[in-house]
Amino acid sequence: MAETDAANTDAANTDAANTDAANTDAIDSTDSIVSMRGIGKRFAAVKALDDVSFDVKPGELIAICGENGAGKSTLMKILSGVITDYDGTLAIDGKHVRFAGTRGAEEAGISIIHQELNLVEQLSVAANVFLGREKRTAFLFRDDRAMQREAGALLSQLECSVSPSELAGTLRVGDQQLVEIAKALSLNSRILVMDEPTSALTESEVARLVRVIAKLRERGTTILYISHKMDEVFHLSNRIVVLRDGRFIAQLNTPETNAREITHLMVGREIESLDLGEKQSRGKRLMSVRKLSLPWPGHARGYRLKDISFDLYQGEVLGIAGLMGAGRTELLECLFGAAPIVPSGQIHIEDRPIRPRHPSEALAAGMALVTEDRKRLGIFAAMNVGPNITLCELASMRRGLAVNGRLERSAAISMVDKLQIKAAGLQAAITSLSGGNQQKCIIGRWLLTKPKILLLDDPTRGVDVGAKAELYRIIRQLCAEGLGVIVTSSEMPEILTLSDRIMVLSEGRQTALFSREEATQEKILEAATMSNHAMF
Amino acid sequence: MNPTAQTLPEKAWDLFKRLWSSVEFKLVLAWLFVVIATALLDSNHTYWNDPRGSSELIIRRTVLLGFFALGSAIIIISGGIDLSSGSVIALSATVFGSLLILLDPNGFRDGHLSRLAVVLAMGGTITVGAMIGTLHAWLITRIGLPPFIATLATLVGLRSFGRGLTPTVTTGGKSQIDFPDKLLRDALKDVTTMSIVFIVFAILLWFLMSRTVTGRHLHAMGGNEQAAKLSGIRTDRLKWLAYVLGAVSASIVGMISFADDGSAKPDIMARGYELNAIAASVIGGCSLQGGVGTIPGTILGCLFLRTVIDAVSKVVGSGADVYEGMIVGIVVVLAVTFSQRGQKAIVNRYFNNAIGWSIIPVLSILAGLLMLLFFGKQTWYTPAHAIVAGLVVGGLLVARGVWETMSEKKS
Repeated sequence: MAETDAANTDAANTDAANTDAANTDAIDSTDSIVSMRGIGKRFAAVKALDDVSFDVKPGELIAICGENGAGKSTLMKILSGVITDYDGTLAIDGKHVRFAGTRGAEEAGISIIHQELNLVEQLSVAANVFLGREKRTAFLFRDDRAMQREAGALLSQLECSVSPSELAGTLRVGDQQLVEIAKALSLNSRILVMDEPTSALTESEVARLVRVIAKLRERGTTILYISHKMDEVFHLSNRIVVLRDGRFIAQLNTPETNAREITHLMVGREIESLDLGEKQSRGKRLMSVRKLSLPWPGHARGYRLKDISFDLYQGEVLGIAGLMGAGRTELLECLFGAAPIVPSGQIHIEDRPIRPRHPSEALAAGMALVTEDRKRLGIFAAMNVGPNITLCELASMRRGLAVNGRLERSAAISMVDKLQIKAAGLQAAITSLSGGNQQKCIIGRWLLTKPKILLLDDPTRGVDVGAKAELYRIIRQLCAEGLGVIVTSSEMPEILTLSDRIMVLSEGRQTALFSREEATQEKILEAATMSNHAMF
Repeated sequence: MNPTAQTLPEKAWDLFKRLWSSVEFKLVLAWLFVVIATALLDSNHTYWNDPRGSSELIIRRTVLLGFFALGSAIIIISGGIDLSSGSVIALSATVFGSLLILLDPNGFRDGHLSRLAVVLAMGGTITVGAMIGTLHAWLITRIGLPPFIATLATLVGLRSFGRGLTPTVTTGGKSQIDFPDKLLRDALKDVTTMSIVFIVFAILLWFLMSRTVTGRHLHAMGGNEQAAKLSGIRTDRLKWLAYVLGAVSASIVGMISFADDGSAKPDIMARGYELNAIAASVIGGCSLQGGVGTIPGTILGCLFLRTVIDAVSKVVGSGADVYEGMIVGIVVVLAVTFSQRGQKAIVNRYFNNAIGWSIIPVLSILAGLLMLLFFGKQTWYTPAHAIVAGLVVGGLLVARGVWETMSEKKS
């Protein structure tokens, strides 16, 4: 450990002067195990990564920090060969590489433990460890015994007591993760990428993982550790790289910084100054939610949501902030009757109790939900723009039994005008529209139902900046018309721009409720990273 | 210069392009091509000598397929699949016969059924169809079985049930029920009556699918079930409707086939028809992914499929049923291949890898064998013809493979 620390101090001395991304080309990267130069990646109109450059020295544990959407996972997917189409260059041991796939990265000694684990649940632990590299006997038969023996040896090194012949699908998440690490060990990986490895672990599993990480570092494994949990980051890492909006922001020596500084670097962008006009004073109470809980059978935590209580008034925007997995989407699904299990607790709409078991009941009670995953849960790709807008309110456009084409058209056009949807016409394919305009079509679909309460789940995800501002304006306008709006977002400035009040969720619990005046990015992030149990 | 003289051909070209993008138009063209080719190639010139008889045969077969193919198409559009139609047809014919025996035993023996018994038996058979559809919907929505499994179970189960039912209702425990009433039989199998009933049925379904809220919701559910549910659509009820329509349409075919065949033989009746219905839907433009398809397209799919089967039997000069399965298989593969091709912008490469090269001898041998099967009885046929046919097909495919390899290298 002493040697690596010394090496890192050297590295940090060089790096301290180079927090500006533009200058990193000047770094002498001869002793780097990984060096990235100008890495960029676009998904359609969205820049996920933009000109990211930094180096990793052998044996380091680098924490990669950033908000949701900062580009951490994308960068690690590029490093591990999952994403092969990107700008910029990557060098391993000073040699340029461009992986054609994960196999190429594995051969170069890089393994990744994904946030969503990648095991074949129907196969045994040993079969998973050696998947695609099965051992064979002299007669080309599969040598299950040798694989089980080796997998067992690797697992015992990792303090994992599961039998190599057990099916991977029957293991707990923490053990599954160790199987993935065993797989990385069997590949003799020198560089291990871990993408938020503790997000689904219990306390004792986290402690075990920490011991495993220490062991891996003794063997000289270099680790890139993605997390936004400050306690973990400071406990484990010797250097911290901060990304924000797909850009490299800074790299700091862990002993020389503190959580406050990192948090500030993570969020420290200027809020897009948007004049959303005069604030509407809030009207009567539309909805009250008391002690809403959603169980999570079979998970260590036991609940997806616990004791959520809040009110929503006419003409206000309630923002829900929280990190990935905090329960934002689950909360909206509970309110809308779309949760897999009926939640406990009370929901009143205009003082009438409701307990929606199907979205149609929530719809009848005056709610509307614009879903987070537009492609999977929002648009009907086989239908044109017009039918996509009118779908929820078709019944009122009938003459007799048949849908009246003229009524339907005028309803669709009213929404195209109101929301300024840019499409080649009502007959245009919905998939030909930009993300922002698709989102407006879905909002229009729900506005036709004349809702009292509009639930917006991350409405600007995958939407470009111009369309974002337009969506903000629309949300404000709807509030002025007397709707109550609940909006979740993975982007802090968005929550701050839009909301009158901000509720913060962390791991399924409500950790704060701020008024707009008292809320700051730092306060929100602090509440969002609050753990329910201290781990370190 | 006269502006209309310029725009008219352009307009015609635009119209053609618009029509060409619809499955229905392409099917009509393909159908015309098959009819003309058959008229020219058929050595007996049946289409010239007996146009009435030929068209009656095709219409009869098309209508019988069309009824339950429409039911199948609605299920496919709504995102499901129904493998059970053939068995539902066989069971319905058996149930119809059984109800006639039970309701009017004397009339059944004498061959003069009372009108009331006939109406009740028809109502009962359609009710049984609705019950089967309800069973499917329950298995799929409440038990959570995939539609493929639920209807696979009834595919094998219902036919066996019909076989068990037959000996218990017939005198002497026979394994088939003979159609009792000649007048009723003639009325049911009359091609005009049949066609009129079919047209009414088809118009009702067309109205349902393209003009009502329910039809739009069925399309939406088929295209994106989760999104449909989150839009407040009661997807379980829609699935019930789709599967009931599918089973009821097969029940109607069961009753007509009973009359058409003259007897209900639950062991062999309508065996494998479910795949014809699925094939006709796919040829008619339905996507097995769900959400896409039309009623007119499906009817044209049925007409095209039955015409091709009829054409091959005319040209080859053997019974239609011999090559039916083979033709259905080939037409479905071609139809889906071509409809996929339109969606992708890239050049398609079929032959230039290990699997591709190894299929070339398979297809060449198949071509030679088809030559033998189809033309073996003709006077001009010699084994050399089959060998040449196989070599020509093989040569063309190898050329295509080489071209694919070269074009890949270039790009």
